[in-house]
Amino acid sequence: MAYIVEIQDLSFAYPKEEVRALDHINLNIEEGEFLVLCGKSGCGKSTLLTHLKTPLTPHGKRKGRLLFDGQPIDEMENRVQTQRIGYVLQNPDNQIVTDKVWHELAFGLESLGYSTPDIRIRVAEMASYFGIQDWFYKNVADLSGGQKQLLNLASIMAMHPDLLVLDEPTSQLDPIAASDFLETVKKIHRDLGTTIILTEHRLEEVFPAADRVVVMDQGKIYATGTPEEIGEALRAADHEMFLAMPVPMQVYAKVNQSNDFLKCPITVRDGRQWLEKVCRESGIEPAAKGVSVFDPEEENEKTKGGGQGESDIILDCRELWFRYDKELPDVVKGASFKIRRGEFYSLLGGNGTGKSTTMSLICRLRKPYRGKIILDGKDIRKYKDTELFRGYLGVLPQNPQSLFVKKTVEEELYEMIGGSKEKKNVEYHISMDKKEAVAGIAEVTHLTDLLHRHPYDLSGGEQQRLALAKILLLRPKLLLLDEPTKGLDAYFKQEFADILTLLKEQGVTIFMISHDIEFCAAHADRCGLFFDGNIVVSGRPREFFAGNNFYTTAANRMARKYFPDVVTGKDVVRCLNR
Amino acid sequence: MSDTFSTYHPSLNMLFFVGVLGVTMFVTHPIILGISLVSAISYATLLKGWRRTLRNNLIFTLPVMIIAAAFNPLFNHYGVTILGYLPNGNPFTLESCVYGLVMAFLLAAVITWFSCYTDVMTSDKFIYLFGRLIPALSLVLSMALRFVPHFARQAGVIADGQKCVGRSTSNGNIFARIKHGITIFSILVTWALENAIETADSMKCRGYGEKGRTAFAIFRFDRRDGYCLAGMVLTFSIVLFGASRGYVFSRYNPKILVEGWPLTPASFCVFGAFLIFCMLPVILELASRYMWKRRREMADGSLIRSYRLWELE
Repeated sequence: MAYIVEIQDLSFAYPKEEVRALDHINLNIEEGEFLVLCGKSGCGKSTLLTHLKTPLTPHGKRKGRLLFDGQPIDEMENRVQTQRIGYVLQNPDNQIVTDKVWHELAFGLESLGYSTPDIRIRVAEMASYFGIQDWFYKNVADLSGGQKQLLNLASIMAMHPDLLVLDEPTSQLDPIAASDFLETVKKIHRDLGTTIILTEHRLEEVFPAADRVVVMDQGKIYATGTPEEIGEALRAADHEMFLAMPVPMQVYAKVNQSNDFLKCPITVRDGRQWLEKVCRESGIEPAAKGVSVFDPEEENEKTKGGGQGESDIILDCRELWFRYDKELPDVVKGASFKIRRGEFYSLLGGNGTGKSTTMSLICRLRKPYRGKIILDGKDIRKYKDTELFRGYLGVLPQNPQSLFVKKTVEEELYEMIGGSKEKKNVEYHISMDKKEAVAGIAEVTHLTDLLHRHPYDLSGGEQQRLALAKILLLRPKLLLLDEPTKGLDAYFKQEFADILTLLKEQGVTIFMISHDIEFCAAHADRCGLFFDGNIVVSGRPREFFAGNNFYTTAANRMARKYFPDVVTGKDVVRCLNR
Repeated sequence: MSDTFSTYHPSLNMLFFVGVLGVTMFVTHPIILGISLVSAISYATLLKGWRRTLRNNLIFTLPVMIIAAAFNPLFNHYGVTILGYLPNGNPFTLESCVYGLVMAFLLAAVITWFSCYTDVMTSDKFIYLFGRLIPALSLVLSMALRFVPHFARQAGVIADGQKCVGRSTSNGNIFARIKHGITIFSILVTWALENAIETADSMKCRGYGEKGRTAFAIFRFDRRDGYCLAGMVLTFSIVLFGASRGYVFSRYNPKILVEGWPLTPASFCVFGAFLIFCMLPVILELASRYMWKRRREMADGSLIRSYRLWELE
């Protein structure tokens, strides 16, 4: 058997840390295999990946052996290693070195000292294979995030690696760009037989193509096997990694019926077939259209607090029109909507439809050329900056790092309210002690244990929570969130959702724009679909998603024949267990 | 859309501008200047359209010309043909007036050529040419050109984020504003340094630092470039030869002396050669436009013919 990578009893600990980041890892990877590595953030999967690429391997105590093609990886010549192992990092922007697309494609080959005619052939090949020829001459600054990441992949593939390692390559991309990217990875695997190791949150997209899945937990390999086997294993153990699994697998695991005779479903299609069989077994008939499977009273109870009072409007946008320049087309075209006090409203929609622009109108970064925004009964233009941003609006930017100024989390929080001295100033005028306020916020956002860390040392989810904490110190009544779940894994998403629920209970209104259908379906009170500069449809998640065919959750697509208005995996489980 | 001359090899582009600017600046002969200015304006018109060229000339070039032409006789008093005396007693001479005018046209020509230069010599061509001389410089330049827009965009994002917590550079008193500005800058620097680590990783992953790095470029020196270069060298040597022999000599101090006018056979050759040299990009562009027009007409004609044939069948 030809193993391309053999990991033999590998352990690793970061300097000054007691806990091992990797704990006796044993893993052999066959040539041409598609391996998906999953696990909750901080389980050591990124650390394991960096061991496969010597320039990235961190310092620390290491035991065990790692062989690449039968040779210890740290004894490999750097040139050979560069060429044979390709590594794509998470952030599309930071990996790009040069200013032109063609130059970026050639960068690796230049380093390896290829001649110009050779580079020309390779670059031409890559550009054709990845469909880059249309933007070959562009500046990298003009590319979209998806194109940037594709360029990174192509510039690695130009060196013809035998092993391709991808560390959460799609976490910064929108869903469409992400699935394009993953399709390309699958295509590389199919066409070229390159061995691929991938970590990824969007498991529903990669599981169907994966030969083997490895689940890691606390630095150890928890389970390994085909996606189906993993499903069975996690089900048996009732492991929390289940949150991250594709919806059909979650449903399969939680339904307490004896359906062991059926295989674990992976895709929505599998899920439909599985559900078909289960329902036939237990005599559930397909539901007629428009019939709700839920008790309406119970439903109302659930969404209470979600702005029942129609009249109590906190934000009223009336026919907003906006364009960036006189010459350019309109981006927001007559958008009108009302946000009720205390509700959680989420605005969904594709890229470039004007969602983010609409949000920048609400927080007064840009001004609509027609239309009005009424915040709490008063025109938004009449507020003073201090009034508006300290007490009314809290805006969480897409990139949390754009808020970080200080060296520790604690200083970061105090910075927001004008330093740690107990003195009232412009930036802090309520009677509560600052110390108390900071401690309270840290508790709400689960930052108490991290107060002495550097903000940049936090993981993505923790950084997100720190940014949220900073915004919350301003005591906003209306919280505006721009893609807060981007790049978060299932566990952090759940934690984030819990925080939002807590805030809602305290009367904060939440307005969120997002691509994350599953998250909105599970947690929002109302959802709106933004298209072509306008809100096309808006309603409770159940009505909203049940009405859509494509733009809906995996659970709905899977189960709509039997339960037309289920939107989450939990709903399906509830229906089946009844 | 770029013009035809821009698609030629970068070294030709560079040589052209060096040649044109060199002759314009060192041979301050009125006719040479005239040829240079007219060609520069025609080329700029082809590149940017007449509207933008006219606007640039009116807003920027014309004031410079006026200033140069007006100031020279006020501050320079050489020359033998005295026209009168300035209030401070200094002579006001014909020579300095003429020289001021010459300078004005020279400046106009140089400015217009440079406006064409920025359109034709894009950063990648510049990097390619000078990267040959200093390989490390070409990568540094390329990275700098990558990071400037990258940082500018991030600065915008940060400023927006800060504005949304009530800290923009446009609110509060002057000290608060400065403080907010510094905060934005500080965030940007931290962010840039932190993210540069990842860029460095990415470079290491792709073998940066290995010995024998080459510099790839998409430019090729074709036969077409060879012909064009030959033409350029020929006309330019005629100009140089003529200039060195004094066929187009000119002097404005102490007495105006302009050779080559009325035309002598020698000066005619020099002016003709310089005109062809300067007009080269314009000629190439017009030739290609004409070619495309002909092709379209032919294509239209053949379309109609084939349509008829089809109809007959």
